[in-house]
Amino acid sequence: MTETNTNHTFNGISRRAFLAMTGGALALASFPALALSDAWRRVDEINAVVGDADPIAQGVNIELPLVTENGANVPLKVGIGRPMAEGEHVTAIHIYAPRNPFPEIATFRFVDGFDVPEIETRIRLNESQTVFVVAELNSGAVLMGERDVRVTVSGCLTQADTYAADSLFETRVRVAESVANGTPLEVLTLINHPQETGLREDAQGNPVPKRLIERLEARYNGEVAFVAEFNRSISSNPYLRFFITPEESGALDLVWTEDTGASAQFNADITVG
Amino acid sequence: MITRRKILKSLGATALAVPALSMPLVARAQGAAGRVVVVGGGFGGATAAKYIKRRNPDIAVTLVEANSRFYTCPFSNLYLGGLRDFESIGHSYDELTGDYGVELVTGWAQDVDGDAHTLTLASGDVLEYDKLVLSPGIDIRWGAIEGYDEAAAELVPHAWKAGPQTRLLREQLEAMEDGGTFILSAPDNPFRCPPGPYERVSLIANYFKTNKPNSKIIILDAKDNFSKQGLFQAGWEALYGDMIEWVSLSNDGRVVRVDAEAREVETEFGVIHKADVLNVVPPQKAGAIADAAGVTNEGGWAPVDPVTFESRLVPDIHVIGDASVAAPMPKSGFSANAQGKVAAAAIVAAFAGEEPSEPSWANTCYSLIGPEYGISVANVYKVVDGEVVVADGGGVSPADADAEFRRREAVYAEGWYDAIANDTWGTVA
Ligand SMILES: Cc1cc2nc3c(=O)[nH]c(=O)nc-3n(C[C@H](O)[C@H](O)[C@H](O)COP(=O)(O)OP(=O)(O)OC[C@H]3O[C@@H](n4cnc5c(N)ncnc54)[C@H](O)[C@@H]3O)c2cc1C
Repeated sequence: MTETNTNHTFNGISRRAFLAMTGGALALASFPALALSDAWRRVDEINAVVGDADPIAQGVNIELPLVTENGANVPLKVGIGRPMAEGEHVTAIHIYAPRNPFPEIATFRFVDGFDVPEIETRIRLNESQTVFVVAELNSGAVLMGERDVRVTVSGCLTQADTYAADSLFETRVRVAESVANGTPLEVLTLINHPQETGLREDAQGNPVPKRLIERLEARYNGEVAFVAEFNRSISSNPYLRFFITPEESGALDLVWTEDTGASAQFNADITVG
Repeated sequence: MITRRKILKSLGATALAVPALSMPLVARAQGAAGRVVVVGGGFGGATAAKYIKRRNPDIAVTLVEANSRFYTCPFSNLYLGGLRDFESIGHSYDELTGDYGVELVTGWAQDVDGDAHTLTLASGDVLEYDKLVLSPGIDIRWGAIEGYDEAAAELVPHAWKAGPQTRLLREQLEAMEDGGTFILSAPDNPFRCPPGPYERVSLIANYFKTNKPNSKIIILDAKDNFSKQGLFQAGWEALYGDMIEWVSLSNDGRVVRVDAEAREVETEFGVIHKADVLNVVPPQKAGAIADAAGVTNEGGWAPVDPVTFESRLVPDIHVIGDASVAAPMPKSGFSANAQGKVAAAAIVAAFAGEEPSEPSWANTCYSLIGPEYGISVANVYKVVDGEVVVADGGGVSPADADAEFRRREAVYAEGWYDAIANDTWGTVA
């Protein structure tokens, strides 16, 4: 379904890519200010976040396929590459798909000290449209980026339900056991879950009730380090790659919460050397 | 560019006004009606060359193709399963050169200058064109999967271009001991032949069943669903029991690293799978000449106007087949052949100063799950607002068909192959 040149490799490579992305002067060079269309002004949910700020069309790097043959599962990578002023950092990244029944896709909240503003996930797109990314900074500044995606249905592709009912809430996590001090720690996560929108009918024509993983929280030594808020347009089996930067050895706890209140957990000990 | 088009149009009009027969032969041979260079003698390119000549023999057509004989990917899975010999999927260019007067240049197209309208070959020769058709098929994105580069492919074949790679994979399958594990790593969309990986494991399972019955097959997939999935999975169960295991993206199926020496792969969440025979179908992009011509987008494929298959980026270059962005049409031999005809008609019309006609296409993908077990999906496509869309019509094989129905579809698949080979290269296998 992708047509981007995303290099989905691990550890060394993606970290290097990440560092290149946020590395000061380089970032400035690779993210020239782009003209932003006015289309976002028509989206209430975006206006609510932007408020009175004048969005800056700079520093938001969005990787999405140009054409996707499967709108149910579209890989999305977002990174904020604008050089920050001293003390400035990203507090939240919001993703919107205005032509989906519910435009809000997800919000990612970063915590000063742990913040590495880059995420990768998989989203649902109902139809061809412009996807918007809004980043809030602690200074009050708002950065915005947009990307057009064409959604087609491949003639050779038949859809099938892929979520496995017998392993609901089963999680997969990939995280290094040790990391050098000051180096971002990559956390790759997936939870087996249908992420039911409540908008779908089953084979008998009965509505399938809404059932969503709403939140993934990462705590480090008991402190909240990163939060993801998922909505209906996150693909089934919510997938998320994010980074935190631990400064000392400690315990990483991941907690996923469903809208029913049910939850799943993962714990790991991380050595910082 | 606009001026150039206008000139061609008026030229075309003049040529039309003069009765063809009264034209001097020399001028006709030199292409008084226009000069077309086609790169790639596969499904798209050979068809385009032939159909330009069929519609207007006065157009000079030069076909640049790296190899003197073409081996098709379609039915190469039958070869891998031991059901066909390799030469039966080979085709020559004799019809194109002999019957249609296409000039064949066996060589490698290296570079294109879209402004100057020239194509440079690796030999250094330069060909001038009025219209260029690129049908170079795919190239592998070497390194997109860590550890999978050209050297690795000599140990762990992709076999996604028919030729030495296909033979290497067959040799490895033959050498494998009974009880071994065959692993195929399948890529995310878009890629050449969406049902191809699943047909391949089917026909390898058929080979194992009779020759190495204790062996196992694992597909590690970068997708959560695939072409004709329900039909394939039902067929696998019916014919091969639990020999084939499919691991989806959400079940950690995406391969991120290959160790070719050890024949091991590592998936996204860190699981190592060890194979006796390993087949990596890697991520792909348009053939290199499309990049060189500047017709590819950041995704690595060539966006085109679907009415003519002319590049949206560089005028007078038509890109057809796997290299083009024609979604939702699949990257298939059938599509490439149909697109070759659309481009041919558009080029002939342009030289004659006429408007291209609005195309519509059909695509039928046959896949074999066993030698007597065929399935198919058919779709009709048309152009709406400058984009290809799926039109009404078409359909898939029924899920509850009986053995006779499946057997007949396998026969139709053979018929399809013979017909398209005949239409494209004039050869019958
Ligand atoms: C295993 C497998 C099974 C398949 N089964 C089917 C099937 O059953 N039905 C179906 O419809 N499709 C099938 N396909 C897909 C089909 O093979 C392709 O879609 C089709 O070949 C595309 O045609 P093309 O013209 O774009 O490229 P190709 O047919 O690959 O032709 C490209 C040609 O260009 C030449 N070339 C490339 N670059 C240069 C250059 N720079 N200079 C000179 N020559 C060059 C190459 O040598 C090659 O001959 C299958 C594919 C695979 C891998």
